[in-house]
Amino acid sequence: MIPPLLWDAVVFSCLLTMLSTGLTLTYMTTKVPNFAHGTFATIGAYITLTIVSLFKLTPYLSIIPSFFIGGLIALALYFLVLKPLLARGASYLVLMIATIAYDMILFSGINIYADYLNRAFKVRTRLFILKSYDLRLFGQPGLAIVAPIAAGVMVLSLYLLLNKTRFGIGMRAAIENPSLAGVVGINVNLMYAFSWFVSGALAGVAGSFIPLWLMSNPDMGARLIVSIFAASIVGGLTSIYGAFIGGILTGMAEILGTGYLSLTLGTWVAPYRPIIPLAILVVTLMLAPQGLASLNWGALFRRVSARGSAA
Amino acid sequence: MALPLELMFVIDLLALFGIFAIISLSLNLEFGYAGIPNFGKLLAVAGGAFFIGAVPGRILAYLFGVINGLDYVKDNARIMTALAKILASNPLLSVVLLVLSLILAAVVGALLGFIASYPAIRLREDYLAITLLAMAEILRTIGYNYEGLIGGTLGIAVPDPFRWVGGELRYPLATAVIMIVTVIIFLYVERLSKSPIGRVLRAMRDDEVSAEAFGKDVVKLRMKTLMVGSAIAAVGGALYAFLAGSVTALGYNRVTHTFWPWVMVIIGGTANNIGVMLGAALFVTMRKLIIFYKSLLQPFLPFDVVWLEYLFLGLVLIIVLIYRPEGIIPEKPSRTLPPKRLQEIMKRVES
Repeated sequence: MIPPLLWDAVVFSCLLTMLSTGLTLTYMTTKVPNFAHGTFATIGAYITLTIVSLFKLTPYLSIIPSFFIGGLIALALYFLVLKPLLARGASYLVLMIATIAYDMILFSGINIYADYLNRAFKVRTRLFILKSYDLRLFGQPGLAIVAPIAAGVMVLSLYLLLNKTRFGIGMRAAIENPSLAGVVGINVNLMYAFSWFVSGALAGVAGSFIPLWLMSNPDMGARLIVSIFAASIVGGLTSIYGAFIGGILTGMAEILGTGYLSLTLGTWVAPYRPIIPLAILVVTLMLAPQGLASLNWGALFRRVSARGSAA
Repeated sequence: MALPLELMFVIDLLALFGIFAIISLSLNLEFGYAGIPNFGKLLAVAGGAFFIGAVPGRILAYLFGVINGLDYVKDNARIMTALAKILASNPLLSVVLLVLSLILAAVVGALLGFIASYPAIRLREDYLAITLLAMAEILRTIGYNYEGLIGGTLGIAVPDPFRWVGGELRYPLATAVIMIVTVIIFLYVERLSKSPIGRVLRAMRDDEVSAEAFGKDVVKLRMKTLMVGSAIAAVGGALYAFLAGSVTALGYNRVTHTFWPWVMVIIGGTANNIGVMLGAALFVTMRKLIIFYKSLLQPFLPFDVVWLEYLFLGLVLIIVLIYRPEGIIPEKPSRTLPPKRLQEIMKRVES
C-alpha cells in the first residue's frame, strides 16, 4: 500500500502546482508579484465549506463556483486596482503594495463571511477540516485521486491552449512582446485579463480542495503564499511548466521533509514546516535566481558525467 | 493620586503613536528613500520585542542570583516578582537596563535585517520583498512554537524598567521615554535623508543603473539601509515590549506590524518624514476612535467589527495609491545648502 505520508505529499504538491502555475501566469503577463494569491485559495476553501455545510452537497461540486468566483475576484483585482495603477504608470513596487492591500480586503471579507456563517448557521468556520465528507475512490480518499487529475488536466489544457490555439499563440506573443503583439492586432488587454481570470480560477479550484485534506482557517493564505512563491521561484517565474515542476518539487520537499524529520528528530519539528519552503527559496535565490529552468542542464550533465568517467 | 481619564486616553494615544511612528519612519527610510519594499517589517519589530522578552530578564536573573535553579520560562512569574523588587528600589539599574536593552535590541534588529535580506539582496526588489515576508513568517513561527524563547503562545513577562516611579506614574514615564526616543529617531532619519547618503538613496531608488554608473555600490547601500531600518524598527518593538510589560508571540503579526506601517507611510507621504509622522498620528487616532465606538456598532453587526476596520484600511490604501500616490504631504526636494546661501547665489546669478 502507498504510505499516507506519500499521499499527503502528492495531494499537497498537486494543489501547490495549481497555485504556483497561476501566480507565474500573471507574473509573466503583467509582471505583478501577486501577494493576494494565497487568499484566492482561501476563498475556494470557504465555498467548499458553504456547499458542504449549508447545501449538504458533495464537496466536489464546489469546483465550479470556486473556478468562477476565484477567476472573477482575480479579474476584479486586475480591472479595479492594477489597471488604473498601470494607467498612471505606477512602478511594480506600487502594484505589489496594491496586491497586499487587496489581500487585506479579501482577508477581512473572508473573516466577515466566516463570522456570519458561524453565527447564522452554527457552522464551525475556523480551523475546520472536511476530510470526513470526502468520497472514497478505489479504497482511497477521493482527493488523492482527484488532485493529481486536476493538476494534470490543468497543465494539459494550458499546454493545448498555449500551443494549439490561435488565442494561446496570441497570448504567448503578448507575453513576449506586448507592443509588437498589439501592432499585429492582438488584443493585449484581453490576453492580460484572461491570464488573471485563469490564475484566480486555478487558485479557487485548488483552494476548494484544501479543506478536504488540511486544516483550514481564514489566515491560511498568508501561510500558503510563502510556499507558492517558493514553488514559483524554483520554477523561475518565466514558464508555466517551470511553475508546475517547482510546485511538485517544493510540495514534495515540504511534506516529505517534515515527515521524515519528525520521524527522526521527533514530532516537535512539525510546526516548523514553513521553514522548508523558505529554505528552498533561499537556496534557489542564492544558487540559481532565475530558477531551475535557467540552468544549463546539458552542460551540467556533461560535466558530472565527465568527472565520473575521469574518476 | 489618580490621573484623570482624559489624560490617560491622551497618554495611551501618545505611546502608541510613538511606537508606530518609529516603525513607520524605519519603513520610510527603506521604502520611501531607498525604494526597498520591506514586506517583512514584522521581522525586525518582533525581533526587538522577542529579544526583550528573552534576554534582559535572564541576564538580570543570573546577575542577582534570582534564578536559583528555576526555569526562566516556567517560573517566570516568581522570577519577575523578585526582579521587580530589585528594580523598584534601584532607579539607576532600571535606567541602565532600559538603555542597554534598547541598544542591544537595535543590534539584534540590524543582524536580523542582514540575515533576512542576504539571500536576495542582489536580485530584483520583488524577490527581496518575498524573502523578507517569508523570513518574518519564520520568526513568528519560531516565536509561537519554541517555548524556550518567549514562552510560546502563553507569552512571557519582561523586567520593568519604569517601576521605580511607582504605580500611576509608570505609564506616563514609559510614554515620555517613548516620545524622547521617537524624537531622537525622527531627527536621525531626517538628518540622514537630507545628508549625501539620503540623496544617494534617492538616486538609487529613482534609477538604479545610473546610480551604479556613478560608482555607487547599490547592493551595499541596500543592505546598509535595511540594517539601519531594521535596527530602528527593533527599537520600536523593544519599546512596545517594555510598555506592555510582557511579550506574547500572538501579539506580533503581519497585519499589525507590516501592513499598518505601510498604510501610515503611504497615506502620510512616502519619502517625507513629517508626512509619515502625520500618517502615524492619523492612523493611531482613527484606531483609538474605532475601538472607542466599537461597542456602539457591534450589536448591529453579525460579525466582529475588527474586520470592517481591515476592509476600510485596505480600501483607503488602494484609493490613495490610485488617486494620490504621493500621500498627504508629498516628498520635497532636499536643499543641499541653507536657504540664505541659496538666495545669495540666486542674486549673484541674476546680477
